[in-house]
Amino acid sequence: MNLTARRPRSHGSVEAALGDAAERPAVRYEARHIKKAFGGALALDDVSVTFQPGEIHTLCGENGAGKSTLLKVMAGIHQPDAGEILLGGEPQQALTPRAAQLHGIYLVPQEPTLMSTLSALENLFVGILPRGRLPFAVDWKRMERSAGEFFAQVGLEVDPREPASALSIAQQQLLECARALAHRCNIIFFDEPTSPLTAREADVLFALMRQLRERDFTVGFISHRLDEVLEISDRITVLRDARVVTELEHHEATREKLVSAMVGHDIAVRQRRHRNLSSAETVLEVQALSEPARFSDVSFAVRRGEVLGLAGLVGSGRTEIAEAIFGLRPASGSVILAGKPLSHRSPASLIDAGLIYLSEDRGRNGIFAEVDLERNITAAIVPRLPRHGPLLRPGTEYEIAEQASQRTRVVARSLSASIKSLSGGNQQRAMFSRWLLAEPKVAIFDEPTRGVDVGAKDDIYEIIDEISDTGVAVLMISSELDELVFLCDRVLAIYEGRVVAEVVGDDITLTRLGTLIVGVRDP
Amino acid sequence: MSGIASPVEHQVIPAQPRRRDSRRSAALRLARRREPLLVVMTLAVFFLTTALEPSFDTSGNINFMLESAMPLAVLAVGQTMVCLVRGIDVSVAPILGIAAVSTGFLAQDDGSSYVLMLPLALAIGAGLGLVNGLFVTYARIPPIITTLGTLSVYGGIELSLVGSSAVQTLPNSYATLNTGTILPDISYLLVIGVVVMILAALFLWRTTIGRALYAVGNNVEAAFRAGIRVNAVLVSAYALTGLIAGLAGLVYLVYYRGAEGGSGITENLNLLSIAAVLIGGTTLTGGKGGVVGPFLASIFITVADEAVLVAGVNPDWQPAGVGVLLLLAIMLDRNQSGRRSLREVLLARHPKLPLTPPSEATP
Repeated sequence: MNLTARRPRSHGSVEAALGDAAERPAVRYEARHIKKAFGGALALDDVSVTFQPGEIHTLCGENGAGKSTLLKVMAGIHQPDAGEILLGGEPQQALTPRAAQLHGIYLVPQEPTLMSTLSALENLFVGILPRGRLPFAVDWKRMERSAGEFFAQVGLEVDPREPASALSIAQQQLLECARALAHRCNIIFFDEPTSPLTAREADVLFALMRQLRERDFTVGFISHRLDEVLEISDRITVLRDARVVTELEHHEATREKLVSAMVGHDIAVRQRRHRNLSSAETVLEVQALSEPARFSDVSFAVRRGEVLGLAGLVGSGRTEIAEAIFGLRPASGSVILAGKPLSHRSPASLIDAGLIYLSEDRGRNGIFAEVDLERNITAAIVPRLPRHGPLLRPGTEYEIAEQASQRTRVVARSLSASIKSLSGGNQQRAMFSRWLLAEPKVAIFDEPTRGVDVGAKDDIYEIIDEISDTGVAVLMISSELDELVFLCDRVLAIYEGRVVAEVVGDDITLTRLGTLIVGVRDP
Repeated sequence: MSGIASPVEHQVIPAQPRRRDSRRSAALRLARRREPLLVVMTLAVFFLTTALEPSFDTSGNINFMLESAMPLAVLAVGQTMVCLVRGIDVSVAPILGIAAVSTGFLAQDDGSSYVLMLPLALAIGAGLGLVNGLFVTYARIPPIITTLGTLSVYGGIELSLVGSSAVQTLPNSYATLNTGTILPDISYLLVIGVVVMILAALFLWRTTIGRALYAVGNNVEAAFRAGIRVNAVLVSAYALTGLIAGLAGLVYLVYYRGAEGGSGITENLNLLSIAAVLIGGTTLTGGKGGVVGPFLASIFITVADEAVLVAGVNPDWQPAGVGVLLLLAIMLDRNQSGRRSLREVLLARHPKLPLTPPSEATP
């Protein structure tokens, strides 16, 4: 069916869209010496990677290694601070998402970003709706005809008139692929597509990826699941701390090589502490905590003064478990604090009972950005502040906030400065002040050192050591495995919503944790 | 205070701000605030008009203008409460009206004293405000839509209460409140207004729930996680706005010595109270501001209004003047709080609690 001949009046990109992506010349796509920083933090440091046509090329690395950032730079979503992007040897200047698509580059994002109220059909062609005889009139019939073809190519069997919101996540991802094909793209990147999919759905996606490879497409892929990485990749590039560590071809890649490249062999500077807590009483007990599709049957206990780590990949359910304990998510199962079962959990009642939760996203749900430091620090204990009759005593509040800020070494011009004027490290120190003022029995720290400088990291480690010495039970979630190694007395490995292993004392090593969190069973 | 670890001793941190620095920055902060600017602007309008028309400057007239600002000033103090939690209440005018006519009829027909009418006005206002709060919080209807709805409903109630009559004669005690002065030139009404403002300011800064209003307005999610009972706080904010609007109804009754169907609405008090809040430096984007600014802004609006009349401008233009002021204030508001657009705020629903955040994504 030659649509182009029938509709000579239509506009360029429209016709391009309805042609075959394979008509585009297959060329290699390179990133050379790319640098990219967000705020002060380097996300990519001198990264060079080449994607070849007819290859499935996988990026591996721990959370924050820079994989997603690299794909986003190559899809025009982020602009690199330095370095070049070359398409078939031609440097691409100031790439935008639209320019990238016109060059045949498409990024299937981690979470599909379809227009949920529009039909699958419109989602497929949005931006390149084919026109009919009348100017501005959309040619629906033609769209429906060609949509069938693209849907068939990706193996998507849905009614094109269904709204995108009616599709499952897996179907939405296939629709994203179909959209890439409709836009005549032949370089397709998949950013962790399999994490929301079941094994069978993932197989469908892998079949599609292989089929694209056969057609000489360039396929980029990110995944944390080492089994599937080893199975499907022609080439694997491992990133760690914003740099490329190694590049392996299919035949030379092994699980051991990947894990050691991802984790690295940096020796933790801090020494782990050896403490005997076997006689300490249990403060927090979690029994059979479950939330459908997030985590299931999570049970553990924390003793007084113990630091228990939760190790897992982003998306493994670590944060969801903590949020469920703190009453932010509905979950079945029970939580027992100091012998008392907590049935209707809410942050307010839990803080009163002695359990606090430092969230992983300080900017979104931790700080009150426009409010001064003093009030940010006292926010969780306002009802407990001293007062005259019904009125708070302002002087004492200042003193309390000041003492708390000294204890966590907040450095600020004054307590009346707004918290958003502080560095990430000082904001986090202030969050610790807030939560320590609540005098917790159990403290949950979720990524306590995310987005803070090295000095603040050390202070935070000291604080965690100190409070656990005074008997506070700490539940610590971190993507930085070395933190778990030197801070924790015990670590639970979480994989896909389940506790898969418990590691105690000197058995807690980088390699052990690095292996467990990617789903490799204990030998 | 702390039952946890002792402070780390080996590092000295200058957390205690040096006195002189803090004093200078306090002066700077004051200069950047809206309140002194409003005082200066009000005085400027006053002296300019006096220069044009010397009769403007008699102490009786000053007193008259301050008095005539009080219904609006009290209403604006009330409006501030919901604005602090990123809300808005466009039903305050009929709440004021209902409180004014119901207490007015009781006073007119039975000679009830204002001491008895005060709790009634407060209860009416709080009740109507509570309804707004429940809709916004639990039905999760955006504040502007909720209160647009209740604006019509409450307006209808007000009209049906009045029928074809009006409150025209009040007991003498009410007249004394209107004309009486504490010191020469300082009327009871002004004192009432100032007392309401001071109580509201103390409430906001030095009570648990007042402080919670700022936290919720600034970041609902962080507030919830910090153990603030967000839903209760939101409902209270609307109830409180209603309560103060009820009080403003009584002030209105005393000041105008009567009330009728459409009281509050005909004076455009809805828009004026929002204008006063914004001009007073309290943002619609929540978490920022106080009651002193809106109070002073009400006086400024009233004085400017009066000055325009004295200058011989056709009074038909008065609403247009307020409209321009309001637009200017909204522009200022937007510049100050770049983080959230007004549309996001006005049409935002209260989130469902407990918040179930989306699963985490790779950075």
